[in-house]
Amino acid sequence: MFRKFAGAVFVTLLLVPFCATAEEPLFGFVSTTDLLPQGKFEEAQWLTWRDGKTAGQFDVVEGRTEFEYGLSNRLQVAAYLNYEWADAYHDNVITGGTLPPATLANLNVGPDDRLNTTRFTAASLEGIYRVLSPYIDPIGLALYLRPSIGPQFREVEARLILQKNFIDDRFVLAFNIDATADWYDVPTGLASGGAVIDRKWDDESALAFGLASSYRFATGWSAGIELQNERGYAGEDPFSTGTRTSVAYYLGPTLHYANEHIFATLTYLTQLPFASDYASSHPDFIVDGRNYSASNERLRLRLKFGWYF
Amino acid sequence: MDSMDSRFLLLPIVALTIIQPAQATTYLSIEQAQALMFPRATLTEDFRMLSPAQVAAIEKACDVNVSTNQLRAWKSSTGGWFIADQVVGKHDFIPFAVSLDDNGAVKDVEILEYREAYGSEVTNPKWRAQFAGKSRESPLKLTKDIQNISGATLSSKHITDGVRRLVVTYDLVLAAR
Repeated sequence: MFRKFAGAVFVTLLLVPFCATAEEPLFGFVSTTDLLPQGKFEEAQWLTWRDGKTAGQFDVVEGRTEFEYGLSNRLQVAAYLNYEWADAYHDNVITGGTLPPATLANLNVGPDDRLNTTRFTAASLEGIYRVLSPYIDPIGLALYLRPSIGPQFREVEARLILQKNFIDDRFVLAFNIDATADWYDVPTGLASGGAVIDRKWDDESALAFGLASSYRFATGWSAGIELQNERGYAGEDPFSTGTRTSVAYYLGPTLHYANEHIFATLTYLTQLPFASDYASSHPDFIVDGRNYSASNERLRLRLKFGWYF
Repeated sequence: MDSMDSRFLLLPIVALTIIQPAQATTYLSIEQAQALMFPRATLTEDFRMLSPAQVAAIEKACDVNVSTNQLRAWKSSTGGWFIADQVVGKHDFIPFAVSLDDNGAVKDVEILEYREAYGSEVTNPKWRAQFAGKSRESPLKLTKDIQNISGATLSSKHITDGVRRLVVTYDLVLAAR
């Protein structure tokens, strides 16, 4: 799987020098309030490698091809396609069977099947409205909304984005609160031959808190750190402690480069040993303090790059 | 399970094929800016190394960081000063020049080079004209006496701060000679 990720990165980066301009997501997972100016387009490519359970084989590369447009100087809209390569086999740390990643929960995968697939998961629309600018107001504030729809997947995500700049805007501190509701069309009944005869829409939700800081240490170069706290819930209400299913923390460095032509951001997150699993009784998805459920893994490596046109 | 749809592997590559480059722009060299801002004048180089005390005094007076202790100033034979400097842009520095009259009031501001993807509206003569006549007594603050350019806020803010810093620098260093 790493070869797939590296191959996709290599081929795409080979083409970048022949291409054009750029703006920036400073971070891999945390958003800032910086938006495109009115009338400007941007294209961005994301690749996220999710790797590692303590059992079996688990690798996922999530891809996103995104087009953004500055509808006004305060409102940016975007449309993108999400797709995914997955390789999972006997990665369920509880049963020893194969556990697909959460975004592929719609697939009928037997406990001894090997999941090796490439899928289109969803198309998304995104809107970000900046209420306050970190350059002229005491703090930057933006609101984010993203509905996604796929063949067997629906999602609505809302995010509050805060940003504070220091030292001539070279040091950036950002904080996100993210609420997500997901619906998965999952198989519930199988015929004797293994064919799916019944399905239902399963729903879950999540709250995520992201904190990140970055400092521009040289022309075009910034380095920083990101912390993510992800909390899963059964059902559509992400504010009920009675339905919480999981808690996980991820921490890691981020490196960003941008000039007037391109940008690239590389973020590495590793899961911290402070996770909880409220959905499973013993045994649960926690191993050495880390959560290895369908939505969590040992590490995440995200590369974003893009340009203007 | 078998791979279903490897054509999605091509999406990142397809997306890259529709790109056209943008270019950084050099508007004026220092010599061209000097000729434009002080026509028919002879400019004499008068570079200074700011002392730590001077840096501290400037920062205290204008509330803007002094990123270098080298002051690149030229004295005009017709009166006034030409100062070349730079401020932090989104990705790179923005070189600019300020001309001051005998009393330290701003005559003109020129953007020498702009290497950012967005925000080149700060080169607009109408926006730059707002600085004319500003002095140490002026607020020289974005959204107060200098209008913001929406979509070019970072560049607008840093150039405004840079001009305020140079006006203060004139007052504390060049005029104090």
